[in-house]
Amino acid sequence: MTDAILELRGVSKSFGEGDRRVDAVRDVTLDIDRGEMVSLVGPSGSGKSTLLAMVGGLLQPTAGAIVVDGEDITRHGKGARTRYRRDRVGFVFQGSNMVPFLTARENLLIVGEFGGVDRGALRHRADELLEELGLARVRDQVSSQLSGGERQRVAIARALMRDPVLILVDEPTASLNSELGSRVVDALKEEIHGRSKACIMVTHDERMAERADRLIEFRDGRLHSADARPETVRSSEAR
Amino acid sequence: MLAIREMRRRKLQFALVTGVVALVSFLIIMVTGLGLGLYQRAGTALLSLNGDQLAYADNANLSLIRSRLTEAQVRDIEAKSGADDATPLGYIAAVIEYAPGRRDTAAVVGLVPGSFAEPRTIEGRALSSPDQILVDRSWARLAGTRVGDVLPLPVGFDRRNFTVAGIVDQGYFFFQPAVYVSLEAWQAIAYQGDASQRPAASVVLLKGKTLDASRGSGWEAVTKRTAFDNIEGVQAQQSTVNALRYMGLLIGAMVIGVFFYVITLQKVSLLGILKAIGASGFYLVTQGLLQVAVVSAVGALLAVGLAVLLQTTVLASSSVPIAFTTSAVLTTALSVLVAGMIGAGLSVRQVAAIDPIIAMQQQ
Repeated sequence: MTDAILELRGVSKSFGEGDRRVDAVRDVTLDIDRGEMVSLVGPSGSGKSTLLAMVGGLLQPTAGAIVVDGEDITRHGKGARTRYRRDRVGFVFQGSNMVPFLTARENLLIVGEFGGVDRGALRHRADELLEELGLARVRDQVSSQLSGGERQRVAIARALMRDPVLILVDEPTASLNSELGSRVVDALKEEIHGRSKACIMVTHDERMAERADRLIEFRDGRLHSADARPETVRSSEAR
Repeated sequence: MLAIREMRRRKLQFALVTGVVALVSFLIIMVTGLGLGLYQRAGTALLSLNGDQLAYADNANLSLIRSRLTEAQVRDIEAKSGADDATPLGYIAAVIEYAPGRRDTAAVVGLVPGSFAEPRTIEGRALSSPDQILVDRSWARLAGTRVGDVLPLPVGFDRRNFTVAGIVDQGYFFFQPAVYVSLEAWQAIAYQGDASQRPAASVVLLKGKTLDASRGSGWEAVTKRTAFDNIEGVQAQQSTVNALRYMGLLIGAMVIGVFFYVITLQKVSLLGILKAIGASGFYLVTQGLLQVAVVSAVGALLAVGLAVLLQTTVLASSSVPIAFTTSAVLTTALSVLVAGMIGAGLSVRQVAAIDPIIAMQQQ
């Protein structure tokens, strides 16, 4: 009996056709468990972000299956993928990507407008998350007035708002200094462990990557190596 | 709601476009008002006549100005048209000097006093002698005329004084305020010379929706609506005004459409992020349309307010033929709203086509 929240089975993604075909991700098989934070590292163009986009329901794989908490998202249509992104996944993008004209609290509550949730309960949850992440003081400031670290913590809080099973994080510390970056990643890790989520964090920053529970290296679209629990990492090349 | 919050936080941006929409809407309302005003002045007095049809001389090509009926033709119309009732009417434009050195042209309508053609007075009394005149309230306002005043009308090379017996509310005839005199007085004003050679009337007003005959010896009868539509220049004038209105609506739709298209282009990455975190295309389109609706509605309301202000101040004492009715103003405001929504269709397609993957690519 596995406790994997995310199961990737032979996932591949190609762009273009014929001579112009680019294989961005090749035959990746991987499990990520509940309460586990995984760092995905590798050079630019190695396929990390493409993999993250597929797991997040932003891209459809060319081949393979992506099962999230028992749900094969590769079978989803457009509407189901939207609901999946809304309810099952939390995104933290590089540069936080806040709605600039909303306050920190409103940036959290925005996810309640997409439907499928009790908005009263969300208000309570937003206040709770802002408190936990040390943002209560700036909750009513518009995001353009927040510091980089505060914005990233708001982004983490927003990702957790609908209690998703999986958090996907893309270069969360790219615009932060190392001290601030460490605090943001630690805050994220604490939330992942405390709330038993799973998390994939794509990063170029080795110091940040090492703060995760497991480190996975990507090269040329394939899993190259995995730290801590190599037995869960299988790619056709590795085999 | 995201759309409303954005409008509240980006006040200047949305205030500017609302101002532009208000100005375009105001222009459309003014053109509509001008069309209505011209329409009313073209001949509401004709449409207000207490009858259903008008019989013209058949060589007049349905022109009230050119139509002249003999006594025999009037009798023929009364006998053969099968109308429930019939009464002769005369028309002539005459210059009235209502104060020393102050003249204006009025549409002088001759009728048989006491006939069903005589309009109901809103002040004073009905005609009871050939020396009396009824004036429309538009003339009364223009000339400051009151019941009991004396108005001199030209008769041949002389002038004849008419006492104002009453004020009526019939409107204009051929862009001139209407005044009403007895048929006998009209004949004297319109035709000098041998009384036996004078036409008996310009037209005959008939009661009855259907007639036994709409044509006879030297005459033809048409409905009031047809008679109105055949007033010289009315069709061309209304077509011109309508073309201006539609042009205004088109410009309004384009202004709103282009504005929201540009705003959408500026927000592509933000919309992509919102889609990536679970917003559906439907949600984003709804938010966009809500903004269009608010901008259009507020713009149209401002325009209506501006038009009402103008009407109660500058236009109240002006002879510019602009008229507003509640339905015309509301229809125009609604048209602006619909035009805005249509214009925003371009942005809707843009929003629907945004791929959430740009949330990662735009970093």
